[in-house]
Amino acid sequence: MTSTETPREADETRLRPVRAAADEPVEVRLTVNGTPAVLNLPARVTLSDALRDHLGLTGTHVGCEHGVCGMCTVLVDGEAARACLLFACQLDGAEVVTVEGLGRPDDLHPLQQAFGRNHALQCGFCTPGFLLSSYDLLANKPDVTDDELPAELSGVICRCTGYRNILTAVAETHRAHPDGIPEPGNCARRALVGRSNGQSATVPEANKPVADTAAKTVDIKLPQGEPTVAVEITTDLDVPFDLVWRVLDDVHLLARCLPGAELTDDLGENAYAGRARVAVGPIKLSFNGFARIVEHDRDTGTLRVLAQGQDTGGAQTQADITLVARPTEQGTQLRADAAVYLTGRIAQFGRALAGDISRRMFEQFAEAVKEAATSGEAPQTPAGAPSALRLLLSTLLDRLRRIGRRKR
Amino acid sequence: MKAAPFAYVRPATLDEAVSELVRADGGGKVIAGGQSLVPVLAMRLARPTTLVDINAVPELGELRADGGRLEVGATVRQRRIERAPEAASVPLLRMALPWVGHRELRSRGTVCGSLAHADPAAEIPAVASCLNAELDLVGPRGRRTVAAREFFAGAMATALEGEDVLAAVRFPTARPGDGFGFAEIARRHGDFALAGVAAHVRVAEDRVVFATLTAFGVSDRPVTREVADLLSLAAAAQDVPTELQGPLSSLAVEVVNTDGDVHASTEYRRRLFRTLAARELAKAYRRATESSQR
Repeated sequence: MTSTETPREADETRLRPVRAAADEPVEVRLTVNGTPAVLNLPARVTLSDALRDHLGLTGTHVGCEHGVCGMCTVLVDGEAARACLLFACQLDGAEVVTVEGLGRPDDLHPLQQAFGRNHALQCGFCTPGFLLSSYDLLANKPDVTDDELPAELSGVICRCTGYRNILTAVAETHRAHPDGIPEPGNCARRALVGRSNGQSATVPEANKPVADTAAKTVDIKLPQGEPTVAVEITTDLDVPFDLVWRVLDDVHLLARCLPGAELTDDLGENAYAGRARVAVGPIKLSFNGFARIVEHDRDTGTLRVLAQGQDTGGAQTQADITLVARPTEQGTQLRADAAVYLTGRIAQFGRALAGDISRRMFEQFAEAVKEAATSGEAPQTPAGAPSALRLLLSTLLDRLRRIGRRKR
Repeated sequence: MKAAPFAYVRPATLDEAVSELVRADGGGKVIAGGQSLVPVLAMRLARPTTLVDINAVPELGELRADGGRLEVGATVRQRRIERAPEAASVPLLRMALPWVGHRELRSRGTVCGSLAHADPAAEIPAVASCLNAELDLVGPRGRRTVAAREFFAGAMATALEGEDVLAAVRFPTARPGDGFGFAEIARRHGDFALAGVAAHVRVAEDRVVFATLTAFGVSDRPVTREVADLLSLAAAAQDVPTELQGPLSSLAVEVVNTDGDVHASTEYRRRLFRTLAARELAKAYRRATESSQR
């Protein structure tokens, strides 16, 4: 009897030979919550640091950093493991699931619901670890008994000593799913930028070169499932259609109309490399990425662009933007439909706020298109981040007005 | 709490792994699962110049049962042993595994890694000693086999030289007439044992052929003793564990020589050893008798 079991049978994910000097970055290809990611990291970077600092997935907590406390428990190839005891470079080809992949804010995993119902989180610091540890337990040992739970869950420590309620939540979930625990619910495949700028300890965050670019690497696949933010904005411009189309026709001019965005390279085949900076209050994001024009039709006044970008802190965004310009009696009606997908840091500040900010950006964009159409010049806020204060203030004012209206 | 910088190599063959260790000139360390090594690196108790990752060597991932032996390659994870049907042929190993750290560690930690790390309170070295498993060491001068009872040289010290790779371990598989026992006491499940025992008894025609007792957590390495005479004397008694207490008390003084620490005094560890050994020897004897009658 012989068995050679590697969790990764496929040749393309077979561990590749590596030779790296001390702190020389090693390339590692991971699938994190269904999303392929390529990182370049020094060998001593742990998986927990790679997830938090390089992919912006800060749901995985770090406590002791030597494998005692269990805060950083994640799933590696379907089994719970301590992310602080794994060097990320060792996991080439592995599939990782973190607490972000377990459920969606609007559709929590049954375990998360049970933890909430049973008050199984007090300060919440150990919760991600307990969720992934108990998921692993119920998925891989479905015949576990209630009596075995304390020993089986002893790999994670709760300093609030909330163990009773944690055990209750796990036992309840176990009973509610006799045929097996449901799979993690937020692991839709999303595409990332062809190559990420995994930051190494020696490279400062700022002024990093744009990632390797060639048209062939620009493979923009939009994720399945609902976008984080769907924006639909219609603006009437008192500018003739021809002038508006001239802006839509000039991709560089158009890019400059989007607050904080600029194109840095023409990759051919309607693909472009670019940068976008967004600042909202203390949050400053600088995206590098690609855009590809997939539809460009003067007759229907339609321009459709797919874009994706990655922030140095690991936030990712993808967008499917359709602009339709229609001649009207007053001039031109410009309609923007955008489906925006966010992961990492930015996804954390709530759908509503992200939606408001995206909408505000498109309003500014429409204004800028109008200005560019009128003057033939790009607006006077080139490539600078949109005024964060203005964005935030106008967003908040909007909300206050809405609340005020509701009260009346 | 971050490891110091180290060069990282992941060779594709075992020979290359050995060459890398030779090239590192004493500064090399093998990493498989890393569950014992990474904490040591994080606390900077060790600062190897090169880590040699052996996970890309295909043959080291093999798990094979044939000819009365279960061969476990260097990168076979502990949790795989818990599940693999061929590993059921070594019941003592299966009994010990739930006590090894936690699930989250066993999913990455390897059987051979635990042996190479040689923590005196670890379970897998005790199992290997009790069954006197064979360990395959591969170094610049080729391959050699070392018996488990000769492999452990002290706390975290083994027969491995700096340029050797522990490539595989072979455990003898159980036969009719074999019975096993395993238990430990730790401050919480998953911690290293304050004291623990592994027992292997073989019975033929209602006679104890041998009774091997291995204690761990009580000295600088697993301690193995042949106790067939003790067991034979107690075997006829109504209450075997109680009958064994007396003879095991004097053995405890000899076997348990670790200094007391904040968790347990030497005297307490001796009582733990005596109690656990009596209980598990009796269980192993009962199971051996049952399996010999099948």
